Amino acid sequence: MPAAPLFGRRLTRGLWVLLILLCWEGLARLSASAFVIAAPSQILHYSATHADLLWRAFLTTLWAAARGFFWGNLAGVTLALVAVLLPRSERLLSTLALLVFCLPLVATGPILRVLYGPGDGPQVTLAALAVYYTTFLPVLVGLRAVPQGWRDLVRSYGRGGLTLLREVRLPAALPYAVAGLQIAAPAAFLGAMVGEFTGAERGLGVLTVRAMRALDLPATWSIAVIAAGASVAAFSTIGALGRRLDLAPPEVLLAAPVARARNRWEGPAHAALATLAVLMLWQGTMDAFGLPPFFAKRPGDVWDYLVTDAAARARLWDALAETLSMAVPGYLCGLAAGAGLAMLLVLAPRLSAATLPLAIALRSVPIVATAPLIVWALGRGGAGTVTVVAMMIFFPTLVACRHGLARTPRAVLDVFAVYAASPLRRLLGAQLAAMLPAFFASARMAIPAAILAVTTAEWLATGRGIGALMATVASTSDYNMLWSAITLIGLAAVLAHALVFALERWVLARTNPEQLIR
Amino acid sequence: MDRREGLARDITLEGVAKIFGTQGRLVEAVAPTDLVLKAGTTTALVGPSGCGKSTLLRLIAGLDLPTEGRITIGAETPAEMRGRAGLAVAFQDPALLPWRTVAGNVALGRSLARMPRDAAAVAELIRLVGLEGFEDRRPAELSGGMRQRAAIARALAGLPELLLLDEPFGAVDELTRDRLNAELPPLWEARGATAVLVTHSISEAVRLSDRILVMTPRPARIAADITVTLPRGEARDPASEAFRKTCAQVLAALREHQLPDSIAAQ
Ligand SMILES: Nc1ncnc2c1ncn2[C@@H]1O[C@H](COP(=O)(O)OP(=O)(O)OP(=O)(O)O)[C@@H](O)[C@H]1O
Ligand SMILES: [Mg+2]
Repeated sequence: MPAAPLFGRRLTRGLWVLLILLCWEGLARLSASAFVIAAPSQILHYSATHADLLWRAFLTTLWAAARGFFWGNLAGVTLALVAVLLPRSERLLSTLALLVFCLPLVATGPILRVLYGPGDGPQVTLAALAVYYTTFLPVLVGLRAVPQGWRDLVRSYGRGGLTLLREVRLPAALPYAVAGLQIAAPAAFLGAMVGEFTGAERGLGVLTVRAMRALDLPATWSIAVIAAGASVAAFSTIGALGRRLDLAPPEVLLAAPVARARNRWEGPAHAALATLAVLMLWQGTMDAFGLPPFFAKRPGDVWDYLVTDAAARARLWDALAETLSMAVPGYLCGLAAGAGLAMLLVLAPRLSAATLPLAIALRSVPIVATAPLIVWALGRGGAGTVTVVAMMIFFPTLVACRHGLARTPRAVLDVFAVYAASPLRRLLGAQLAAMLPAFFASARMAIPAAILAVTTAEWLATGRGIGALMATVASTSDYNMLWSAITLIGLAAVLAHALVFALERWVLARTNPEQLIR
Repeated sequence: MDRREGLARDITLEGVAKIFGTQGRLVEAVAPTDLVLKAGTTTALVGPSGCGKSTLLRLIAGLDLPTEGRITIGAETPAEMRGRAGLAVAFQDPALLPWRTVAGNVALGRSLARMPRDAAAVAELIRLVGLEGFEDRRPAELSGGMRQRAAIARALAGLPELLLLDEPFGAVDELTRDRLNAELPPLWEARGATAVLVTHSISEAVRLSDRILVMTPRPARIAADITVTLPRGEARDPASEAFRKTCAQVLAALREHQLPDSIAAQ
């Protein structure tokens, strides 16, 4: 590459950044009375004057996030290995993993705080909880994304599952693992920050809560920028490491092959089994660790509470309805926007050059840090919360759908090219079918993300809905209500997941039957 | 010289049939078949596309189980034979591992067969299939025919007693194919291994095999069982009158059974 064009490109890029910063500055100054946007100059000023404070807080959060990242990914990979080596356990494991992932961090935070006491236990645990599923799922997909031919090859030498794992599954899963770790990096940061919301002494999360209480706009923005920067850096570092390893990019981002129920009772039977397992796990761990019943409510306590206390029931119900009225539209908008833009980019590839880097950068921004800003910007009405949810879902969906579209077999595309089919024709005739599995996988993954986004926005910004309810009852030690809210949210998530899963099977059975076979 | 020399045994199919059932639609791929393939011989399967040749090969390898009947290789089931790495398959789709180089893929054929590493043997096989200079390339950098040749080398690498080749040279040009047809069979024939070969080329079938089974359209049935009486190896001259006569015999058998019953009935 000759030096001059490279330098020219850097110059143009620099000019663009400058232009954006100037627009940002101008916008902030114009809207200063609305009290929403901090100008870059303000952020810079705040960061410079509080550099020491921010740096120490950043290191604290980073350390907790790094440990959570390690443990969470270790758990995710181990779970995926167990699921592959013991195929019978896969459904149960997946359901359990999903259930635990659906528990809103915002609610588990306070409980973990009580469990651990002071220290950074909750931060690390929440960071681990935030990442294990997004690693578990792609690694599981990678371990199973093994063509029949490779399996036959190993079988034809009479070798078993362990050889298959070593020679085929693990190398095949490596690029998927990198993709999972990439997503996990910002998630760990986010988990650690949520952990810090719940009464930690130090860290960026603590600063966020303080800044928001004081309505300190430059501080909030500075923290958001730092968190975003750290996440983008981690995201790109892992991506670069993956490229160094010379891995082929994963063929599917997140599309877990959908196991087919052997008969009509198998699905419900598994669901019942998983529910039972969760209840036993819940009760069992609490009894095993001898947790005091005052705050560690058992399944029976929640049941009694909800059955006997009508006022509590009504309060919970209202909060849930409020939350769902934000989460569902946000979820649908996010999915539609993500899939829609992915398809648009196929029709107009030039656009993608401009939007994709932005999309990837934004995907790695911890939404927790930005949620309050969005809600402030769009007001405390519904629009802000819906936007937060949609944004949280939009980017992963976009990326997953693009991966899916890119998976359209070369030969099929060539056929369309030979007949000079229009891009639209090609999209509808060939690429859409390739996109659907990835789309549905990301629709399933988006459910916990939507719950996290909506409860966080409610807690930090709007003060309504189940997120705010959980924060309130946690601070007043109303643990019956807290546990009931967690149970209800978990239940709603699992129901939503089942719904999407059923829809996925129905659609894929018509468009991509090969995805359904084992 | 080889630990497996002379171990090959007859392959016996007794009433073997295969019916695929997907989503309520049944596809009869192999009609009930009785067959004995003599140890140490090479048998070619020819027949129209989609008739069930690959299916039959997979049944012999024990990768699929027959719906009816049973298959034995000597006193063993195919699964038992696989259990001691006694057979190797070169699949119709090469199924090379994309993250391994050509040499790595060929070496995998040895390590899967639980044989010690032997770089020289691997290099020799790569040379024989004409891939020298490509040892360090990944499959994605190879042409279709080159991938097939790498897959054959991998199948040969484990010194199998029973070699199952599914259209091994299907994507290879005529000249290279000719060379491979001359150079590769001695590798297994000299060890007394049994081979079953699926091919769409009649001359290749006549060139390589001791016996040619002509299959009917689906469900596969043996339409003709032709014993090749020509001398083995280099002495088998494709230009000879006897060779051409055998080819004509196979072609006639194929023609006779070309149309599926449903079309023939119209
Ligand atoms: N796993 C499967 N499930 C259902 N049907 C199958 C399966 N495998 C093969 N078949 C069917 O069995 C029949 C025989 O297939 P097979 O692959 O054995 O054909 P073939 O003779 O090898 O054809 P070709 O020469 O084109 O390779 C086909 O009609 C195919 O549709
Ligand atoms: Mg075939």
